[in-house]
Amino acid sequence: MIWKTAWKNVWRNKGRSLVVISSVTVGIFAGVFSVALMNGLIAQRINDALNEEVSHIQITSKDFRINNDPRLVIGKPEETLSKIRSVNGVMAISERTIITGMANTAGKSAGVQITGIDPEMEKKVFTVNKKIIPGTGDYFEKESKLSLVLIGKELAKDLNIIRYSVDTATLIRLKEKGLPEKIISKLVPLIGKRFSNEKQFIKEMKTVYSAGEALKYGLIIRKEAWSFREGSRLTLTFLDKDNNQVGAIFRLTGLYDIANSMFEKNTVFIRNSDLKKLTGISENDYHQLTVRLSNVDQTDEIADILAQKLPDLEVMTWKKIQPDLAMMTDMVSQFYLIFGIIILAALAFGIINTMLMVVLERTRELGMLTAIGMNKKRVFSMIMLESVFLSLIGAVVGMIISYILVRITGNTGINLAQAAEGFEALGYSAIVYPKISAGFFGIVTILIIITGILSSIYPALKALKLNPVEAIRAE
Amino acid sequence: MKVVEIKNASKIYNESEVQVNAVNGVTLDFQEAEFAAIVGPSGSGKTTLLNLIGGLDNPTSGEIIIDGTNLAKLKSSELIDFRMRNIGFVFQAYNLIPVLTAKENVEFIMNLQKWSRKERDERTFELLKAVGLFERANSRPAKMSGGQQQRIAVARALASRPKFVLADEPTANLDSKSAATLLEIMEKLNHEEKITFIFSTHDARVVKMAHRVITLEDGKVVSDDVRE
Repeated sequence: MIWKTAWKNVWRNKGRSLVVISSVTVGIFAGVFSVALMNGLIAQRINDALNEEVSHIQITSKDFRINNDPRLVIGKPEETLSKIRSVNGVMAISERTIITGMANTAGKSAGVQITGIDPEMEKKVFTVNKKIIPGTGDYFEKESKLSLVLIGKELAKDLNIIRYSVDTATLIRLKEKGLPEKIISKLVPLIGKRFSNEKQFIKEMKTVYSAGEALKYGLIIRKEAWSFREGSRLTLTFLDKDNNQVGAIFRLTGLYDIANSMFEKNTVFIRNSDLKKLTGISENDYHQLTVRLSNVDQTDEIADILAQKLPDLEVMTWKKIQPDLAMMTDMVSQFYLIFGIIILAALAFGIINTMLMVVLERTRELGMLTAIGMNKKRVFSMIMLESVFLSLIGAVVGMIISYILVRITGNTGINLAQAAEGFEALGYSAIVYPKISAGFFGIVTILIIITGILSSIYPALKALKLNPVEAIRAE
Repeated sequence: MKVVEIKNASKIYNESEVQVNAVNGVTLDFQEAEFAAIVGPSGSGKTTLLNLIGGLDNPTSGEIIIDGTNLAKLKSSELIDFRMRNIGFVFQAYNLIPVLTAKENVEFIMNLQKWSRKERDERTFELLKAVGLFERANSRPAKMSGGQQQRIAVARALASRPKFVLADEPTANLDSKSAATLLEIMEKLNHEEKITFIFSTHDARVVKMAHRVITLEDGKVVSDDVRE
């Protein structure tokens, strides 16, 4: 009967209850969806980093990571490889040769890490081969007289390999992308002009668009207006293992586009054989072995085994190579906690306020209930249940809305195009796929019930202090 | 058999540093199945005396003994439980729980006493029939007239078969027809259920129907007439 009465009391003042329920709904939705968004962002960042940048474990000669000395190669490579392959859980290994150098075009140059790879091995460890921008070439598929190089889109921009121009085909593509006619028509004066780099194109766009339009549509227009001349060449210069400067002309095999624009700017890939030939590094020597595991959760365990088997080498897990990624997970947990406390505190004050009004309005009724024999425990329970019902209804509605939206956006993704450049500079994809675990909803439900109970204590104590004789007389 | 014994009970309030003797040395007994009215002018102490008998207030001196139990000896929680099991209350302003139906209001105390559903249903429908509101079992108080609400309040007071029912000005907010109906019902239930009814009232109709009329003035009993 107490449960039934408390439930019915929630709906006594529907307007007020709905306001409280709505505020709980909005609060819970904001909290849950933000967490889902952050989860998605972090999961994607970690996933991208593992698939495109670091893999699960990297093995190098000791001190190579600090010195980058080309002479610090992995000795006895065959023996090392067989030791690694013998560990259960190792899925694939890629052998890499790594040199620091410069990439140069006619007018531009940039410092880069030149990574020598075996494309077939690399495909088993990384997914960069799937990130080749359509129309820019391929992943070391074609044969060429010149050595081939794969570079990132951002480096191509820096080296002025990507050019910008607007033609009628560009306008048609923008129309297909759903850009308003008014925005497309403003590009007409730019038809026929060519821009050797992105900066010039952005500068020109500012002459035809307002700041708001440029912010909203700039990225889409730039994506459709850039062009790349297949077969472009660039020169890579670096020091060989004897510290002599060497250089060679490379033909671009393609451009890769991953979420991390810094990685795109800094990393170029060439074949191991080409790099070894130029640097004088022995055919069997490598600087780095990148290891992909069948289960990322086994990283620490397998790294320990490998470290024991390879005491002369440095075995690094992705968490140690990119500590920011591992730290991010811990930091975000703290962030969730603080965010949760703020939301729940705000909800608690709303509920306390409402329940105090309830006690004030129902003074006579509460006095009557005490008079006819409802004891303090039951009065307390009734007030507490009303608080819990109010919070729980809002929470359930908020969680249902969040769940539906997370399911939808988890599939479609949320395109944060306006902030894309900033995101990509930090290694995050501009399209975020929110995700959340079922367990999180359970935690939220428990926290909401606790908040409801705690919020009811003060109003319930007020109710318990009522003197039935005075309360019954109250107007 | 004595249901209520009041022994030299007094209640003194301190209002603005002035002592008010709301009840002043009252000694009274109420027997089983009595239908008694406490009358007197405003401020004579009627409601205070009912509050003392109902255990809602403590006497400054004297004793209130209900069915052999001295209320002063009970702890606060025991007193609430004692009220639930032994005393029915009817208030001037009906004081039904607005979110519950007539049936739910009547069975509220039986629920608190953990009666079985079958027992509750039998007793609730018996009382709803007795007060003539069986058809309104599923109506909420807001959909009923004042007279009907007060009849539900009477049914609620009697639901768990208390030792006695205290009714503070039960007809004060009712028109004459509703008041007459209510009084007839209460008298009938008093007769059938053998439950003592003690009213405080200004209403001449109630006084006329009462079997015993106790008159208070300045907190003292000035007359106690038992009618045959």
